Amino acid sequence: MSKGTVVKHDTELGAFDTQHMRINVGPQHPSTHGVLRLVVDLDGERIVSLRPHVGYLHTGFEKTMENRTYQQGVTYSNRMDYVNGFAHDLAYILGVEKLIGARVPERAQRVRVILTELNRIASHLVFFGTTLLDMGALTPFFYTMREREVLQDIFESVSGVRMNYGYFRVGGLYRDVPENFEPMVRQFVKEFPDYLDQYKDLFMGNDILEARTRGVAVLTRQQALDWCLTGPSLRASGVPLDFRKAAPYSGYQDYDFDVPCYDDGDIWARMQVRMDEMHESLRIVAQAIDMLEPGPTIDPDRRISLPPRHELENSMEAVIFHFKLVTEGFHPPKGEVYVPTESARGELGYYIASDGGSMPYRVKVRAPSLANLQSLEVSSRGGLFADMVINIASFDPVLGDVDK
Amino acid sequence: MSALLERLAELGGVQHEFKGMTSVTVPKRAVLDALRAARADGLEMLTDIHGMDYLTYPGHTGKRFAVIYNVHDVAGRRRLFIRVDLDDGETLPTATGLWSGASFLERETFDMMGVVFDGHPDLRKLLTPEDLEGHPHRKDFPLGETPTLFGDGRFLDPASFRAGLSGRDQGLTGWKGGARDGVVASQTPKAPGTAQRPEKSGS
Repeated sequence: MSKGTVVKHDTELGAFDTQHMRINVGPQHPSTHGVLRLVVDLDGERIVSLRPHVGYLHTGFEKTMENRTYQQGVTYSNRMDYVNGFAHDLAYILGVEKLIGARVPERAQRVRVILTELNRIASHLVFFGTTLLDMGALTPFFYTMREREVLQDIFESVSGVRMNYGYFRVGGLYRDVPENFEPMVRQFVKEFPDYLDQYKDLFMGNDILEARTRGVAVLTRQQALDWCLTGPSLRASGVPLDFRKAAPYSGYQDYDFDVPCYDDGDIWARMQVRMDEMHESLRIVAQAIDMLEPGPTIDPDRRISLPPRHELENSMEAVIFHFKLVTEGFHPPKGEVYVPTESARGELGYYIASDGGSMPYRVKVRAPSLANLQSLEVSSRGGLFADMVINIASFDPVLGDVDK
Repeated sequence: MSALLERLAELGGVQHEFKGMTSVTVPKRAVLDALRAARADGLEMLTDIHGMDYLTYPGHTGKRFAVIYNVHDVAGRRRLFIRVDLDDGETLPTATGLWSGASFLERETFDMMGVVFDGHPDLRKLLTPEDLEGHPHRKDFPLGETPTLFGDGRFLDPASFRAGLSGRDQGLTGWKGGARDGVVASQTPKAPGTAQRPEKSGS
């Protein structure tokens, strides 16, 4: 706390001075969703100005990826957004595939879509749990975590881990999904709508929640565009931009789904968009699991993907390709690519520059949370300090995604 | 889009196509005009600003740095990369007058590449600590070779630390790892000049 700007008041009761109070929030604070520091100037309970300080989780992933082969980059991409790892994997892989022109088999595309959409649901469940926790409601956290646990089991069955999946490969998937994958996903698709209806009644139909979020921290359409907002937070301000529709990748053009959009621009709209998105994601998963046909799961091109294990025993060529891929990886042509994708937080894309070597010359992550976080400055201004905490949560920042 | 590309060509822009991505390299003085023209043509959203360092790029002959503005339209269908080539020490005008959200993006570019944006209201480092010298995404910034002073006063110099691991040097601790149980110590190869683990006293 330190001395801030002096404000002079001249009222009919007499002239007096007040001082703005400067308060430091974080970096270690339960409501900042990670390691985020805010410096807030207050006039009474109203926020005069707010400055976010980020970088506490900066790990230098981009620089590290520039010193690893393309295939090894999958190890790092999902660690940035640890709540929505599949989306980062997919964005990185799509960039590399565009660079080398890999042909991804249909089964791999479908599995990628299923996992990414399930991960979006899992991410939004964390969003609801933690946002409502910030509002003082403890119980929803247990409900949403219960559902997320089912999803985590699915992710664990395919990739072997519950976080930092690293399951996608350039050209396809690490391996085919296990036998119990399809029944697990079908079971989830069958059960989850009931829970979703329950959540709609419990959360969005709640009078206290409406009173706390309606008309609070409003971002108009113009402000949202000015502050480079993307994703669900942008769609809550009346811009129906979704890259799954606008520039379909991984076969999203095959699925029938809507893009929820609200004009309100307040915290309520940002929550409602995500609630509707879980429903749309479930629709995509239901269609994709019906379209899932048996088939190969990785590009058979030997210059990109490892040969099957049994070929190594009787084919010298397979051994050579295996050796080349393991020791140095593949060499994409020179060039720079960028593929925009829609993560649970907004536009996510990897700008990858290749110099013809087996490691990327430059990797730049366009992470949605970093750009979205800036708009706190304008959306919190003039609001109550207590609302700022929900406002941070309503943008759903993941600080690993911000700091890279 | 074609009208915009003509307008950018008038400003001195050179167009490149790669795998369906359009980028236009504009001269430094025209960068704000180019962004304004893109915005007037409907490319209203600024997605990213980032720097490139071509110091070690094979066959590169132009200026060392490039700054890339990634803009697209509200429908998400048209995207344009506006590039500016820069030498070390050259500065760019800020785009915060066009998009308030350019603030963090320019700060990140300044932090990582060391490109200065003139007129930026608050050009500070964004991600790296205040006491870190240099700009990590430059190609001459060493990877993981930063000497570190820990809070307890211990100083770690990576070069000597690695030398200690590889056995060519005593290293920081002088400890090379002992023999496993059941292996006679004299059978393990001994590198000259390495420190041995102290013998247990009394055995």
